[in-house]
Amino acid sequence: MKRIHWIYFFLILGLGSACTDVIEIETEASETQLVIDAWVTDESKAQTIKLSLTQPYFDQGNIVPAIGATVIVFSEDSIPYPFVDLKNDGNYVWQPKIAGEKILTVGKQYALYVKYGEEEYFSISKVNRVPPIDSVNYFQQKYPVSPPDDLRQEGYQADFYARDFAGEGDCYWVRAYRNDTLFNKPEQITIAYDGGFSPGGAADGLLFIIPIRAAASPDLYAANDKMKIELFSIPQEAFFFLQLVRTASTNGGIFATVPSNIPTNIQNLDQNNPKKVLGFFAVSAVSSLETVIDGRKAIPKPSGR
Amino acid sequence: MYKPLLALLVVLLSMQAVFAQEKLTISGYVKDAKNGEALLGATVFVASLGEGVSTNDYGFYSLTLPKGTYELSFSYISYLEEKRQVKLDQANVKLDLEMKESTLTLETVTVSSERVDENVRSIEMSVNKVDMRTIQKMPALLGEVDVIRSIQFLPGVTTVGEGATGFNVRGGNIDQNLVLLDEAPVFNSSHLFGFFSVFNPDAVKDVKLIKGGIPAEYGGRLSSILDVRMKEGNSKKFSATGGIGTIFSRLAIETPIIKDKGSFIVAGRRSYIDVLAKPFLNGDLKGSRFYFYDLTAKANYRINDKNTVFLSGYFGRDVFGADFGFDWGNTTASARWNHVFSDKLFLNTTAFFSNYDYRLQSDLKEPNPQDAFRWNSNIKTYSVKPDFTYYVNSRNKVSFGGQMIYYTFQPGKAEAISGGETRTIGQDSKYAIESALYISNEQKVGKKLTLQYGLRYSLYDYIGPGKGYTYGPQTGERREPTSTTTYQKGDRIAQYGNWEPRFSANLGLGESSSLKLSYNRMAQYLHLLSNTAAASPLDVWTPTSNNIKPQLSDQIALGIFKNLNDNLFETSLEVYYKSLQNQVDYIPNSDLLLNPQLEGDLLYGGGRAYGAEFFIKKTKGKLNGWVSYTLSRTERQVEGLNNGDWFPSRFDKTHVLNVVGIYDVSQRLSFSVNFTYGTGTPATYPTSKFVWQGFALPHNFYDERNGYRIPDYHRVDLAATLKQKKKIFGKGEGEWVFSIYNVYNRRNAFSVYVRQNEDNPSQTEAVRYSVFGSIIPAVTYNFKF
Repeated sequence: MKRIHWIYFFLILGLGSACTDVIEIETEASETQLVIDAWVTDESKAQTIKLSLTQPYFDQGNIVPAIGATVIVFSEDSIPYPFVDLKNDGNYVWQPKIAGEKILTVGKQYALYVKYGEEEYFSISKVNRVPPIDSVNYFQQKYPVSPPDDLRQEGYQADFYARDFAGEGDCYWVRAYRNDTLFNKPEQITIAYDGGFSPGGAADGLLFIIPIRAAASPDLYAANDKMKIELFSIPQEAFFFLQLVRTASTNGGIFATVPSNIPTNIQNLDQNNPKKVLGFFAVSAVSSLETVIDGRKAIPKPSGR
Repeated sequence: MYKPLLALLVVLLSMQAVFAQEKLTISGYVKDAKNGEALLGATVFVASLGEGVSTNDYGFYSLTLPKGTYELSFSYISYLEEKRQVKLDQANVKLDLEMKESTLTLETVTVSSERVDENVRSIEMSVNKVDMRTIQKMPALLGEVDVIRSIQFLPGVTTVGEGATGFNVRGGNIDQNLVLLDEAPVFNSSHLFGFFSVFNPDAVKDVKLIKGGIPAEYGGRLSSILDVRMKEGNSKKFSATGGIGTIFSRLAIETPIIKDKGSFIVAGRRSYIDVLAKPFLNGDLKGSRFYFYDLTAKANYRINDKNTVFLSGYFGRDVFGADFGFDWGNTTASARWNHVFSDKLFLNTTAFFSNYDYRLQSDLKEPNPQDAFRWNSNIKTYSVKPDFTYYVNSRNKVSFGGQMIYYTFQPGKAEAISGGETRTIGQDSKYAIESALYISNEQKVGKKLTLQYGLRYSLYDYIGPGKGYTYGPQTGERREPTSTTTYQKGDRIAQYGNWEPRFSANLGLGESSSLKLSYNRMAQYLHLLSNTAAASPLDVWTPTSNNIKPQLSDQIALGIFKNLNDNLFETSLEVYYKSLQNQVDYIPNSDLLLNPQLEGDLLYGGGRAYGAEFFIKKTKGKLNGWVSYTLSRTERQVEGLNNGDWFPSRFDKTHVLNVVGIYDVSQRLSFSVNFTYGTGTPATYPTSKFVWQGFALPHNFYDERNGYRIPDYHRVDLAATLKQKKKIFGKGEGEWVFSIYNVYNRRNAFSVYVRQNEDNPSQTEAVRYSVFGSIIPAVTYNFKF
């Protein structure tokens, strides 16, 4: 919301002459590295860990899967949950064998083990608590100027309501789906530290502050659209990781920050081995809420929105 | 600790006794005959002795000579030379003088220029003075005459990019420039995020940039002093100047308080696009506010021959927003008292207040008790600064004085209200005192050598109430405090003292050339924390603390100055080397706002900068202007970044070429052109990409910083100024200024960055970001009564 207002002012100021265009640049090549994309939730459904290889930044070819690896998640009670690459496409999957079976339990730690070629990698992550989503509401919105990036000018804007737990340091990832499609542009990553945006403790135990509540609608909804909000509990290091992911993908303009590498929490089992991987391993408890937008239930537009 | 300074003072003052033999003093003020403005740096020269002196920042001069009769010649660039016979036999002589501007600069009329070779003769090096009349003639972005944009055409001055706030001098960060407006520091010199500077050109009299050989009277910043002096106001008659430009409407009024005794000037500017846009704003945009303005005022009064007082003030603000609003601005106020103790001892005492603050608020239209965010930040400084000049004799000029600054920082406090519950976040207020004493002497040794040697001692106290955090060693990652100490009001949290030696020498080489050498050490106790490409108005000035050490720099510069063709051309070649200590850098993803433990996100390292600057200036004639070329390198080394190796800083440009040309066709019509070329600034690009949760992310395998360069920058601007034939209301003058910025419509890159394609996340691309992607024409109308 804030961001959109800003854009208007610049358009009006006529300084909208700033522009971007895609150009060709050449960059150095480097060694290929293993990439591990392991985000496991406490839901009783198929869980996937993706293994792939890096490629030159401007190589537009398909992603190269890393096949033939051994992938296991261990609970802190040493129960192994093997992930298997059924289709030989780098997607290593664990399926619940009986209805309701799941890997994760809130409060417990889990370890990821990956063996690829001769190298062995591991990482540890803890499942944090997640509060329920109490409610959502929505109101009719019409922006005076068409927003950029094909976003809708008119429709329903939604907020979700949930309260952070008392106690500092709870982190969350808010994810929204419109008609079962996840809003997954980098700039749409919304993460919360307690009830607010950043560490410091001041937002501890609060109802999520407005800009986080508004993460329910990265774009506007139409009547009869299905809306689903997911709240992931995430470890603190995942909060900082996602912050970097968002920055790395939306880092243009005159207030860009110096690009920096996104660190991983996955290590080589042999500490002296210089071979490193990229990616991240995290475990999340999930709460969610689903609804269908009904114009009759819309609330009046709040002041200042 | 100040003892050595006092001893030096005693030695220098006693020199008078040694040299005192039947000598008398001529002193006085030099002013502009038209409006009574003091002329700064005018030369008073006695040809028979080959000795002379320049007027100081208030137009005062003092010259002590053996008894006798002398012809004094007074000269100042583009003013007619004045000669006076002075008989020194009985008593000291007081001689105030008014000089007339040469209106015939177009013709080759001899503005006798015996001493117009000030650039060669003076002790100053690495100093650029830009005449306001030149700045006003240069093509300007959107037709808005701008001091800071103009100095970017000088050698050794760069910027991170178009539209960025501030400027970088010889490898220094933007916070290493002491920007003074009538001796009060201005903390944010920009309007609109950096597009325009805060100085109203109608109110500025003189602009001087000191990049090296910095005299002992200045301190507190490492890289440069930008000394902006405001007009005093016409003390002869009422006058008004103003104009309507694309962005600003301006009006300045000057008038005598009592003729030839006192005057004042009030100058205001305001952007007016919001006024024009108002009828088109409806719905949510109704009530939107977006404007910026500044108000500059100054008064002076000459009480008697010995006492003059000045009061100046600046108030400027940028305001943006509707419900969600953001506003920021500077306020400065300074009071100065010039006192002439004797014909030889001049005192200026300045007391100033300076404030920079900003505010963000989410519920501006109507307060929202349920959900709101209100954030504010400020830095306030209070200072007293006495500066004495003692004209010992015609060969020695001693300057001494001191400064005390009291700072209060409110780095950022915010009130966050969610669901009716209020929380306060941010940092505690911080307090510091910076004091300094200095002394220096400018001495002529023989016929050819002039020396300036001085010493400054600065002492800094970081005081309570406040918290002192302790952190572990620097790793390149965020550090959590290992312990916290709470201090009470007045407790000392940290203290630092620094000796700052200053030295300059000028060796005359024949008639019109000289060799100059300078060394200076500077200490800086304030740091502008900014981790973005261009600094933003949100960036916070942070005091030196128990963790953040004072920044230090040592610079040595050597230059050859030569004037050609009877001073028609001024040329110089300077080389410099500068070493920087305790430079602040940032961890990736640093959180610098509202973060009490922000020191844990800082990294410290060193820097170095070196280069050569070539400068040639044609000072008069129909065609005038300058060409400057700078070859330079500026680098940083910070543990935890770039594998600990040196890397080029964000604003490093290997080659910079600037050309400024002004062609006066007639009294009515003039044309001007700017050309600028600069090597592309450094950039960091990834070597590889990896896909994680559907995001294509960049990765630099070698973890290198600034290993690439964006495309070179170049641009031409043009302007034409046409004075109206007809007088406005019978006496006023009007002129039209037509300007074109970026004439050949080059899409210069501010930055080049990488991203995933918006429509196809698995595809990646490089994007060129240009602040001005097109040609920008503008028309401005100026008037003068």
